[in-house]
Amino acid sequence: MDFDWQHMLIELLVMPTLAFVVGLVMVLMARRLRARIERRVGPPFWQPLWDILKLYSKRTQVSHGHMHEISIIVLLGGMIAMEVFLPVPGFDTFAHHGDALTLIYLMMVPTLGMALGVSACANPNGSIGIARALTAMLAYDVPFIITVAGAAMLYGTTSLPEIIAIQQQQGLEGWGAVQMPLLALAALISMQAMLGKEPFEIYVAPAEIATGPMTEMSGKFLGSMFIMQCFQLYTVSVLYTTLFLGGGENWATFLIKIFVVVAIPMTLTNIFPRYKTEAVVAWLWKWPTAIALVGLFVVMMR
Amino acid sequence: MIPSLDLLLALAFGNLGLMLLAGRNPTAGLLSMILYALQGWVLVMLMPALAEGAASGLAFQVFGWSLSWELNGLGWFFAIITVGAAFFSAWFAAGAWGVQGTRSPWAFHVTLAANVAAMLLLLASRDLLTLFIGWELVTWAGYAMMIQSGGPATRAAYKYLIYGVAGGLAVLAAVVLIQVQAGGLGFAAVAAWMPGISTGMLWALMLLLGVGFGIKMAFLPFHRWQAEAYGESPGPAAAFLGAISSRMGLFGLLILLVHFIGLARLDELLLPLIGLDARILWMWLSALTIIIPTFIALKQNDARMLLAWHGIGQGGYMLLGVLVGSELGVAGGLLHVFNYATYQAVLFLVMGAVVYRTGTAHLDRLGGLITRMPLSYVAMLFAIIGLAGLPPMNGFVSKWMVYKALLDEGLPLLFVAAVIGTLGTILSVFKLIHNVFLGQLRVEHEQIREVPFSMWGPMIALSLIVFITGYMPGLALDLVMVAQTSLGFAALDYHLGGFVTDTGNLNMLAVVSVLLLGMGIGAGIFLLGGNKSKRVHQLDNYAGGHFLTTEVRYHYSHHFYAGLLRLIGPWYITLIKRLEGGIAALTDTLAAGSDGLYRTAYTPILMLAATVLGLALVL
Repeated sequence: MDFDWQHMLIELLVMPTLAFVVGLVMVLMARRLRARIERRVGPPFWQPLWDILKLYSKRTQVSHGHMHEISIIVLLGGMIAMEVFLPVPGFDTFAHHGDALTLIYLMMVPTLGMALGVSACANPNGSIGIARALTAMLAYDVPFIITVAGAAMLYGTTSLPEIIAIQQQQGLEGWGAVQMPLLALAALISMQAMLGKEPFEIYVAPAEIATGPMTEMSGKFLGSMFIMQCFQLYTVSVLYTTLFLGGGENWATFLIKIFVVVAIPMTLTNIFPRYKTEAVVAWLWKWPTAIALVGLFVVMMR
Repeated sequence: MIPSLDLLLALAFGNLGLMLLAGRNPTAGLLSMILYALQGWVLVMLMPALAEGAASGLAFQVFGWSLSWELNGLGWFFAIITVGAAFFSAWFAAGAWGVQGTRSPWAFHVTLAANVAAMLLLLASRDLLTLFIGWELVTWAGYAMMIQSGGPATRAAYKYLIYGVAGGLAVLAAVVLIQVQAGGLGFAAVAAWMPGISTGMLWALMLLLGVGFGIKMAFLPFHRWQAEAYGESPGPAAAFLGAISSRMGLFGLLILLVHFIGLARLDELLLPLIGLDARILWMWLSALTIIIPTFIALKQNDARMLLAWHGIGQGGYMLLGVLVGSELGVAGGLLHVFNYATYQAVLFLVMGAVVYRTGTAHLDRLGGLITRMPLSYVAMLFAIIGLAGLPPMNGFVSKWMVYKALLDEGLPLLFVAAVIGTLGTILSVFKLIHNVFLGQLRVEHEQIREVPFSMWGPMIALSLIVFITGYMPGLALDLVMVAQTSLGFAALDYHLGGFVTDTGNLNMLAVVSVLLLGMGIGAGIFLLGGNKSKRVHQLDNYAGGHFLTTEVRYHYSHHFYAGLLRLIGPWYITLIKRLEGGIAALTDTLAAGSDGLYRTAYTPILMLAATVLGLALVL
């Protein structure tokens, strides 16, 4: 593998920026969707960006020590690294240096960063939120990992650009969603939990400020969490598109696919109440896991 | 001095003698450090000679049995880790800890030297008799190391000893069986005889060796002794034991089961009715050894117990990787031995430091130590990321190799099981660092200071190794390849940063560089963008309108993961308690049976059995 420094540098700077911009629009879409369902107008176009800028420019910025700040840096760094290792149309140099497994574990780095930062605030309400968030991670990653195993079995590789190439060669019927519909369904459900949306959103719990990871997060700390949300929406949808929807042939179809993927959990989230933590685990370990195991079995039988 | 195995053994036993005489001297720690460093130097110098085996000039006859020693690549790999772990443990104990942290520095230095010497003797065995002698020495040296704290440690060590002696007897039975059948105990004779053995013989050997060496590895279902025995040992002793001691069992399995018998032969051993072969059964046992102890660790309230339970779980990854049998899998399993030793040693040393300063390792009685012991915190942070197997630390690389090997060989369910173990580990190590170093600092800990250099030095040095071998796994893989080729597997194709395979690549140089660069960008955005942040006191915190004072305990540590434990708590009782009860009942039955046979002289039955066996052998 030869190193094209110029191209790599461009990728390194362009991909996170693109991810951030697309993520902002996704946040806007989610908020407008919710507004329409609730028969409101919804926020104006620039609102997600204004929110972040407002939080960054607040006069009072409360820090609970070095670890509180370092953890935000780890969180942002992990997010940026994740975007760079995702294959998108025209940019997949770095995607060849890692694979699906690398990406899954990179996705846990921001979670760990957030967890450390929240704990550094010395507020038990925050820690309770983190305990719940990590429990939810244990819950949704089980079905998700099974779908990744199934995809790796089906395509015979864990390289994400390879997976895209295989799907695009065979056209629509080569898509993961057609080849392994059960796994695609299970992944969709665990994606809902991964994004922290109802009915799996107890750890974010935006209605109860006192017991969530955000308890002591204010100012630019909270603003960085907003940035993380943009990156998260983008990452999860791109990963889903890569594994099941044939990746992006070009930016036009790619954007349509990832926005459709995000629209599904963002719509469903409005019609559900909320599960308790142990119910989240019990439910995710039952239904999506069972669906995924059957799907994996089907793939193995081929 | 020409480096040779003799020199290595002379240094190891010289160190033992020296510590016996001068272990109470304050300079003893420094002296033994130098001697471990010299042993490490000899090992490095021996590396080129390994291809044809570095033989010892020491050879003698006992009752007609010839005893001799030779170090091959596999033993060398484990020896490097052993000596390294001993070096850092001795460093930790060389200064203040040796004076104030332990009841008897003499006991620590002597038992550490004895363990290293016994392990080197085992690792350099050339025939089954020296292997067995080394095995017994290692068992007893480990016992001596575990009892030094007294109190509950004595009980735990006694339990270990019973397991260890039982395992030793199983190994002895296998050795006798091989001697009778093969007509010799030299590795050459054994290797020549092994390919032709029958299936029944193979079963017998596999069970005997599996039990014998599996006990030392705390392999399920022989896992119950280890956590207490290691956890109750004082800091650096636990670091050494946790890092390498159990891996001697893996060494035994590798040399006999993998090298001589070969993994392919295990495929022939089909279980009746189920149709699974012995290798798959072993792999599933490894997967259970990963999952069950990991989730037991999650429940622990004592940091050292938590770490010791993880030690058992991590052993499962090593054997799982090796049993896959592909180059990637074997290399992954062996690399995990190295990686695991580095971060487990850090974790036990950090807890040793915390106990030294605060007097407790109880997870409900600590918190907020990050402001008082920042270097210990950094060391632990690096090590827990390694233990959890996340980038950018070395634990990720070896686990990635094991995962990849499982997927490449078409074993997705085992892959899922291995990942579930990792997820459980993430939860449990986060609880560890949260309860000890993050959250609210307790009033009684406000005056404590960071441990002295003699204690943070080894922690930081080791955690840098954890990071660097994660950044450049090629460095550690150079060592692994020595062991891998000596086991008879082809060398793996790798570069400094990782691997290029047909089914997916890993380049840690790129991953870690991008991660660091991303953090740089993140730091730029966060620190330069927006207004400057203001540091507040830990009591300046949201408390729902209440006023926080130093008397208010404001730290969530007890019953961490309450939601999860409400769900899986009952499983511990139904599954694990019953499993353990079953094992205990089985042991009781066997003990009662042999006791009855031993005490009550059923002479006619014994005569009949002896006659039948005799006839069977003659005919």
